[in-house]
Amino acid sequence: MPPRPSRRRVPPYGFLAAVKGNLGAIAVGLKYFLDPNRFTLHYPREYIRLKPGYRGFIVLNKAKCIMCESCARICPAAAMKMVRFQAPDPRRPGKMKLYKYPVINYQRCIFCGYCVDVCPTEALRHVPAHDVVYYNLEEMDLNLEQFQVEPKSPAEVEGGIPVRYVFDPERGLVKVPEKGQAGGG
Amino acid sequence: MSSPGELKLSGWEVGETRKLPGMDVKKIGKDLYEIFIGPQHPGSGHMRIIVRLDGDVMVEVDPDLGYVHRTMEKLAEGRSFIKVIPLVERMAILDACNITLPYVEAVEKLMDIEPPERAKYLRVLLCEINRIASHLYGMGIFGVFLGHSTMYMWPFGDREVFVELAERLTGARLTHSYPVPGGVRRDVPEGFTDDLRKAVRYMRKRLEEYRKIFLDNPVIRARLEGVGVIPRNLAIELGIVGPNLRASGVEYDVRMVEPYEAYGELDFEVPVFEEGDALARAWVRVEEIKQSLRILEQVADKLDKMPREGFMHDKFWAKAPKLYKDVYSREGRVKLMPLFANLKVPAGKAFARAEAGRGEIVYYVESEGKFTPYRVRVVSPSFRNAIVFKYIAPGHRLMDLPAIYGSIDYFPPEADR
Repeated sequence: MPPRPSRRRVPPYGFLAAVKGNLGAIAVGLKYFLDPNRFTLHYPREYIRLKPGYRGFIVLNKAKCIMCESCARICPAAAMKMVRFQAPDPRRPGKMKLYKYPVINYQRCIFCGYCVDVCPTEALRHVPAHDVVYYNLEEMDLNLEQFQVEPKSPAEVEGGIPVRYVFDPERGLVKVPEKGQAGGG
Repeated sequence: MSSPGELKLSGWEVGETRKLPGMDVKKIGKDLYEIFIGPQHPGSGHMRIIVRLDGDVMVEVDPDLGYVHRTMEKLAEGRSFIKVIPLVERMAILDACNITLPYVEAVEKLMDIEPPERAKYLRVLLCEINRIASHLYGMGIFGVFLGHSTMYMWPFGDREVFVELAERLTGARLTHSYPVPGGVRRDVPEGFTDDLRKAVRYMRKRLEEYRKIFLDNPVIRARLEGVGVIPRNLAIELGIVGPNLRASGVEYDVRMVEPYEAYGELDFEVPVFEEGDALARAWVRVEEIKQSLRILEQVADKLDKMPREGFMHDKFWAKAPKLYKDVYSREGRVKLMPLFANLKVPAGKAFARAEAGRGEIVYYVESEGKFTPYRVRVVSPSFRNAIVFKYIAPGHRLMDLPAIYGSIDYFPPEADR
């Protein structure tokens, strides 16, 4: 059946309804006063174990990169740039070859994940970390070596408890401590 | 100027400006005051409301927009077609899919392609998750405007349920960049539809509690009933859109009058209220969340029955290498073909619209057959709703302004683009 309009009116309100409304509001408030529905994350004592599909920080696998430049071309924030350098060609001894690899500037990155999705060889991937911090702005402009190192969440490094949120029809989201091996993600 | 602590109303000269908590007040005549509310974030973003008061009654209200203008339309002219999507989605927090969808549809019209069936349902899925999250956000702001801090904390906490759903589907909490020309970027992950059904059951229960603590609460009724009435003819004349229009008794919803994506095949109602006051606008939002939950259930059933294929138009997927198909079957992630980076869109003009959380959003995209659009015009719902302040606030007391502002669910970053 296609969408259709339905005309309604706000329920009428009288003295009895006001009494009932007051009591109802107090009852609901009291219910949650006695049994609050809290799911606050106590960061950094706890941190969220991110799901595999999460668009977190990005890491380059240099061995898989075919230097196609697709990632740098699709980047909407111009965060990804190619670095070019001459190095000896392993296939032709004595000859030099132009290499180009992507590097990322996290000052600009918006974590849209276009680069990861457009990479034809899966050389780029997201890691399940989103809370990496840097001491200054220059550090956020990664070089080729730094771009290949998997960043770790500081909460994880400092021994926080990984938690995850599960859906519950009664309480919405429920925070449960993650069991199992570390570093899964 | 004097500090708020030492405010004395005696000896206030005409033409003198004094600071009151959160606003500058200028005396413009005997018992006439000009108040500047904002632009430092009076509620849901940076805007300024210039109010002229006769005693305590507002006689003139001017919404002063443009404090968060980011020249999105101009920036879009220098970017390739796919890069405009992450740009325009920064207009509305929590409503990213609804806001970007008409742009993607306009580009699809220019390219003369249509997304496959499953992609349409996946788009509807995220649109409705966004709509619920957007309404909950608006209700939370509304609650805190009225000093009802429970209604601030609850919707913001329950919003997290839908943000979490969106994160599992797209990989990002707010800026999803989910629809792309030809299809979508992810398929539903394992166990997603079960989580969705749990969230729907939870939200239904919560809406009953919202009604008890907020909508049926005598204090809230007293503050909202008959406040900020937009009569039906004024609503049409001013061209306001979305829940505010439907609260004034106009049956208009883009999902209904011009069904896009899979909306034509879904069974849902468009709630319309007659009163047109702030209370009716709050009710419309609650009823719309109920209908969105209905849509989500139907979409979940439909997605479970469908085979897991058809999320991208063949133009972009038929020639995809094996690696792409492996990634899809393993992770449900749709790899983009490298041609997306420089998408050449045929010359032409296209127009598309959709019903975002706050109302109708319209895109006009003109292409010259190059890699970048010639023109992207955006008309956002909040921009069309902003004018209401000028017409409905005068006549009310100043203390009714938060109730009116909150009920309109005005969102400056969306209006200023």
